[in-house]
Formats: sequence, structure tokens, C-alpha cells
Amino acid sequence: MKLKIKILLANPLSFMGLLLISLVFGSAIFADFITPFPLHKGAVVDFSNFNQAPNLTNIMGTDLVGRDLFTRIIYAFRISIMLGVVVLIISVPIGVFMGLLAGYSGGKLDFVLMRITDVFLSIPPLVLAMAVMGLLEPTILNGMLAVTAMWWPWYTRLIYNLTRSEKEEGYVVAAEVVGASRWHIMFREILPNCTHAIITKMTLDFGFVILIVSSLSFLGLGVQAPTPDLGSMVAEGARYLPDSWWLTVFPGLAILIIVFGFNLVGDALRDMMDTDS
Amino acid sequence: MSDSLLDIQNLSLSFQGLTETVDVLDNINLSISRGERVALVGESGSGKSVIARIILGLLQSQKGAIVKGSVRFRGIELEAATGNQIESLRGREISMIFQDPTSSMNPVYKIGTIFHEILNRGTHNISKKLALIKASKLLEEVSITEFKRVLESYPFQLSGGMNQRVMIALALANKPALLIADEPGTALDVTVQAQTLKLMHNLVKKNNTAVLFISHNLGVVHQFADRVYVIYKGRIVESGSTSSIFENTKHPYTKALMNAVPKITSKSFFDASDDSSLFKQPAFHHKDREIGQ
Amino acid sequence: MSSILRLIVQRISLALIVLIGVSMLIFAIARLIPGDPARIALGPNATVEQVEILRETLHLNDPIYLQYGYFVRDISQGDLGVSLYTNRPVTTDIAQFLPATLELVIVAGIMMICIGLPLGMISARYKGQFIDNLLRVVSLLGVSAPSFVWAVILMLLFAYFLPIFPVAGRIEDTYVIKAVTGFLLIDTLIDGNIDAFFNAFWHIFLPAFALSLSGIGQAARLTRANMIETYNKPYIEMMRAYGVSPFRIASRYAFKPSLIPSLTIIGLDFAAMLGNAFLVEAVFAWPGLSRYGVAVILRKDLNAIVGTVLIISLTFVLVNIIVDLLIAFLNPRIRYSQRPK
Repeated sequence: MKLKIKILLANPLSFMGLLLISLVFGSAIFADFITPFPLHKGAVVDFSNFNQAPNLTNIMGTDLVGRDLFTRIIYAFRISIMLGVVVLIISVPIGVFMGLLAGYSGGKLDFVLMRITDVFLSIPPLVLAMAVMGLLEPTILNGMLAVTAMWWPWYTRLIYNLTRSEKEEGYVVAAEVVGASRWHIMFREILPNCTHAIITKMTLDFGFVILIVSSLSFLGLGVQAPTPDLGSMVAEGARYLPDSWWLTVFPGLAILIIVFGFNLVGDALRDMMDTDS
Repeated sequence: MSDSLLDIQNLSLSFQGLTETVDVLDNINLSISRGERVALVGESGSGKSVIARIILGLLQSQKGAIVKGSVRFRGIELEAATGNQIESLRGREISMIFQDPTSSMNPVYKIGTIFHEILNRGTHNISKKLALIKASKLLEEVSITEFKRVLESYPFQLSGGMNQRVMIALALANKPALLIADEPGTALDVTVQAQTLKLMHNLVKKNNTAVLFISHNLGVVHQFADRVYVIYKGRIVESGSTSSIFENTKHPYTKALMNAVPKITSKSFFDASDDSSLFKQPAFHHKDREIGQ
Repeated sequence: MSSILRLIVQRISLALIVLIGVSMLIFAIARLIPGDPARIALGPNATVEQVEILRETLHLNDPIYLQYGYFVRDISQGDLGVSLYTNRPVTTDIAQFLPATLELVIVAGIMMICIGLPLGMISARYKGQFIDNLLRVVSLLGVSAPSFVWAVILMLLFAYFLPIFPVAGRIEDTYVIKAVTGFLLIDTLIDGNIDAFFNAFWHIFLPAFALSLSGIGQAARLTRANMIETYNKPYIEMMRAYGVSPFRIASRYAFKPSLIPSLTIIGLDFAAMLGNAFLVEAVFAWPGLSRYGVAVILRKDLNAIVGTVLIISLTFVLVNIIVDLLIAFLNPRIRYSQRPK
């Protein structure tokens, strides 16, 4: 484990990724202390100062009701991270469990579980989330629900394929011969061999979840005003292109930075996995 | 010697890692004359396969590889040659047979296509039709009678023995002067291996092709080679004609190799000594006259 | 040949099962929303009787499996219901808006393959050198931002600050093209109007490029990884040993084996673009399924939502089947595994 962290730090690309992620997490956690106008995260108006281009007081400018954009972006980080964490914490265990069960059991259970998974995978990710969101009230909670509902199948697929190939390996057969229960084999034999793949995917997914959530908000189906969200900020700002360009460009770049950071680290993790095998 | 085909002198190879340098070959001297069959014998990790790749210039591009010494082919210094010069030798004057025949051929192309590509090296821009006719003849020479089916097949559809014969046909397609055989038949069953080697023996004799035969199998070496070099941990420890090496073994390592091979008739196990200091003895080169052709 | 036929039949039957599942899923979700669809459609001013009549017409009082039965019957007759938003049959709406989205996605897909694959090959060939590292960072950037961010950036740069491309729409209003296929690029050619063709192409370029960036990045990364792995294979070493030119090895003998593992993911990406098209359409005011889709979702227009999702899923499944068949065609191992030796 320690060695893996060392390798991550040594590679310049993944180091940059880790740096970016720490910046994002750090600013999100300490948002209250580092933002110049912490109250602007909510419903505040300051019409004397609205629609300002980036200047010394507001380094990223202000939005149409006068809120400091920089502050709102930092608070939006918070929401994004929270959403990412919640979605993954719920969807990953469900997905992994189903994948293990389907992969190890085989037969009818395998067929049924995987067909259900296929159904969910047959609808392009964004479309399913949109449909669910559109049919429910657009709140943050429902947003998380929608994204979680469409996320677990990817893990099921991954773990299913892994389980199927691991099933034939020596250590599994040995455990079966000794008489271990299927639960033991699934969770204490096969699962530990999947950990690296799961962690790599989760890292890459974190960015991807943020992409999807921001896309939903962009379409007006995710986080609602006045809560700041990067996607909805881009959407609002898009209407005022090209004059108030900062309204779209900065939130957009913010999305890019977060996801880029996670992708850099996730990539490095995946390279490590390949050399392992 | 005007008959000399391959002349390796003072060859050494090391790899420069991040923290340390690993020496793989040390002061290798090896020569092959026209039509000669020379064996290079050693165990895994001895460095024998690496020598083959250095001759063809395949190793030099690897990261951290430091090659020193001289490799002359027909008098031309390969280490100083340009990329184009070396490339023109490959597949034409020098060709190679690999250890696992099935995985050495591109799985998504038919055997016929592979033949076309190889024959193109000999006759530039040869037509597919002509290439397939030539290929059929080559397959006949390696005793493959259903050549039409084979040319239409993919490597995974054929047995290991069949693929090995295809490889031999490919290697001899452009009538090379030197054939490098890297552990041929090791991946095959023993009986199939025997058949394949007999075939190879007859063919190279017929075409007067020189062979660098790399192996760890002493029995096969005895049957096949005129001269033998024994390599241990990157150094040549003994060299000479086949009869000298086998009947008049001098170096402790060579002796250990010989004795370690289980004899079908004996019932006892060989006590292989772990004492490698014995093996560090200086090399012994038998001074017998070259058995040339 | 029969092995391919068997493969097709297998895939289609699986796809049918999946599509039935999708229809059930969407149907269930649609019917589970809180609130009364009939009430929402008629608005707060309608009387209770009017709402009741609509409920009866829509079979909303029947048990759910019966409702599903009506649904399936209607679909088999090509009836997806009427949209409460446009007051037209949903099928008409989809027929109008789907081609625009499809055209966008197909052009983006072509870009993804024609730009992404060569970039990956170059990256693999010069592995470890400057160009490789540069391309890797660029690919990663492409993947790291949602399409709408790229759409906005590209629009700002190349439509506003440097007015090279038009800002919105599929073609200038001055052109009137007879709609044969719904694909402007094809219809303009059928019409013989070369001017209009270029105009349409100019309009589609920027949005398609924005949509494809993520796919280009992904395709490049995948191709690079697969080609590097292929380069290490013994059969490539064999070809090098025989002096086959590096260019020929790269473009022919290393390329084909690397393509096969990439195809599945590329197919998935292509299909994912179907979902992301929504975002780009919103930015470029592209009259495709997105504006329709988002509008009906916001209005909880049941029939339209179900119809739209179903059609998109159908397209997704079809694309996957095509990709599967393509893989089988390229990979002789799959083709021949059915046939006895």
C-alpha cells in the first residue's frame, strides 16, 4: 500500500492529479474560511455589484444578482464532492454484490441478474438519469437517487467478469474443496482480489459522477437554485455569451479541473494494475 | 576466413536501470561458417536468447540496453551499420524461428497472407497469386500435403506441430544464409519435436544453410549440431566440436549439464551441486579442426 | 456463413429481451410518479369530471399490468400515444427531431474514429517521447470535461471571438431543402444543391466536434494502450525479425489485433454520445431530440418521455449489435469457434 502511494507521488502526472484533488477537497472543506464572501453561497443579492467582469475584489467576477463567482464555485465543489461520495457509497456495494452473486452462482441466477443489469446498461447513462429526474421532483436527493440507480450496473459488469475469471483459479477451487460456504468464497476469497480494480474504477468514476450531475443541472434537472452547482452555473451563464463570458468559462474550467485531477490519479492506478497482472 | 558468415567478438550486454546496472553478457566470442550448424547451449537466464536478438538488431532499441563489441556478418560490422542495412538483412540473409510457433504468427491474418508478406521481402512487390504458388511449394518441402487448406487457415486453427513446420517454411522462404533457431520445438510434444527437428536438419543440409541453434536440450544438440558453445550466466564456458564436447567434456558446468539429464535407463537422481563457484572456472576451448562443409 | 447468422439471431433475441425489460422499466417509472398525469395535463382549471374522462381514456384507473398490456398493444401498432406538449402523435414528433440528433451523433462518431484512432497509433509508435506525452494529456483533457463545457468553449472561440463557424441552427434559413431522409448532409446532395451541402456541413462541424471530443480522447487512449500491448506480442517481434517495415507493421499488423479489444468500448462511447447529444444541442440550439426531450421531461409528458427513452434505447441496442457483429467479423476466432474443425 505504502509502495503504491510512493509510486503515485513519483509520477509527475499522477502527482499533479493528487495535487488537484487535494486542492479541490481542501477548498471544499474549508470553504467557509477561504472564500471572500461566504454568504454568497445562498440567496443573496447585491445589485450594486452585479455582472462584474473579473477584478481585484471579485477575482472571477460576479453573477447576475451580484454574487461573487469565486465563492460560489468553491461551494459548488462541496456539493459536487458530497454528491460523488454519496452516489458511490451506495451504488458500489450494490453493484459489487450483484456482480459477485451473478458471477459465482452461474445458471439461472446469473442469467436473470445480468439481464436486469443489461436493461439498465441499455439506456444511455444521461438519458436514464434525465428520465428519472424528470419524473420526480428535481431535488438534490432525487438527483442522487437517479444517478445511483444508473451507476451500480457498471460495477456489476466489472465484478461479474472478474468473478467469472477468478472462479477457475486455484485458490477458489481449493476453498471449495475444503467446504467453504459460497458467501465465504465470494467475500473473503474473490472480493479481495477485485479491490484494486474497484478502487481504480471508483477514482475514475468520481469525476464521471460529477460530469453527469453537472450535465443534469445544466439541463435544469439537478441541483436547483440558489444552491450553487457548476453545471447550472454554466447553463445560466450560457445565455449571456459572449459578453459575460466569465459566467460560463470559470465554472466550466472548474469542472474540467476536478475531473482531470481524478482522471490523472485513476489512470496511474490503472497502469499499476496492469503491471501487477 | 572467407567462409566465415557470422563473427561475434567480445560482445557484452548490460542494462542500465534506475539504480543499478545489470550485466547480461560478458565477452562473448562466437563464429559460424557457411553451412555450419552451431549450437548455443545454456539454461534459462544464461543469455542465449538475447544473443539472437542482438544479431538481428532487435535488442538495441530497448531502453537502457548497452551493447559493446563486434558483430560481423559477411564481414560487415552490424553494430556500425545503418538501420536500413540491418533491415535489408532481416528475413532475407538472416531469418529466425521462434520458440512458440502458434503465438509467433499474427492471429488475425491467414497463413497465406503471412507468406505473401515474407516472400515480398525476397521479391519486392510479388503478386499474391505468385506468392501463394511459391508458398505451396515451400509447404510441400516441409511435408505439408494439404497446403491449400493450411494457406487458407488462421494459426489458431492448426496444431502446434503444423505451425512449427509452417514457421520453418517461412524461415527458409527467401533462402537465407543464416538461420537462427531459438529453442525450436520446445513448446511441442516430444515426438512432434523429433519429427520437426529431423525435417529441419534435412532442409538446412539441402540448402547449405548455416544454423545458430539455441537450446537447453543436450540430446537434440548432439543430433543436430557440428559445433557447440556452452554458455553459463552470460559467459561462454566451453566450446568445440560436438564430439569433443560430448566425449571429452572439460568444464565443470558442462559436466553438470550432461549428468543432470535423466537417463532413461538409470534409476538414481543426479545430485546437482549448488556450488556455483566450480562453474566460475575459466572457459575451455577445444582446439579441433573446424568441421565445415 | 451460418455461424454469423447464428450470432445475429443470438444477439437479436438477447436484445429483444433487454428491450422488453427497458420498456417495463420506463413504464414502471413513468407510472410511479407522484401526482395525477391527467390532472397535470389538463391543468388546475379543469373540472373533476374532465379529469376523470381523461383518466378513463388513458386507462389510468386500470390495474398496472393491464395498463402495460395496453401499452404493448399500442406499441406493436406503432402508436406511442399523443404528446401532451405538442398535441401530436409522439411518433410524428420523434420522426421530426430524431434525424437531426442522429446526424449529429453519426458525424461525431466518424470524427471520433478518424481522429482518435490515428492519434492513438502515433502515441503508441512514439511511446515515451514528447509527442506521446502531449497527446496523452490532450486526450485526458478531452475526456475530462462534459460535452457542454467544450461546446461552450468552442463556440466562444470559433463562433464569437473568431467568427469562423455559425453559432446556431442546422442550415441557413434561406435554403429550403426537401426532407427525404431528414439528414441534411444527404438531402442537400440528393437535391443537387452543393452550396447548401457546404452550408449544412459548416453548421454541423462545431457541434459535432464538441460532442466528439470526449470520444476522441477515449478512442486515442484505448488505441494507444492496445497497440502498446500488441507491440509486445511475439508475433510482432517475428515480423520485425523478418524486416517488415515499421510503418507496415504499425498500420496493418499491429493495428488489426489492437482494434478488436477497442471496438466494444468505442461502441459504448458512440452510444453514450447519444445521451450527450442533448447537452450539445442545448448549447448550439440544434433542433434535435434534446429540446423536445427536455421540454417533455419538464412537463412530465408521460407518453413523450416513454417514447423518447424507448427510441433512444432501441438505437443504443442496435449500435451495440452492430459493434458486436463488427467484432465477430474482424476476429476470426469468434467466427470460427462455431464451426467444427
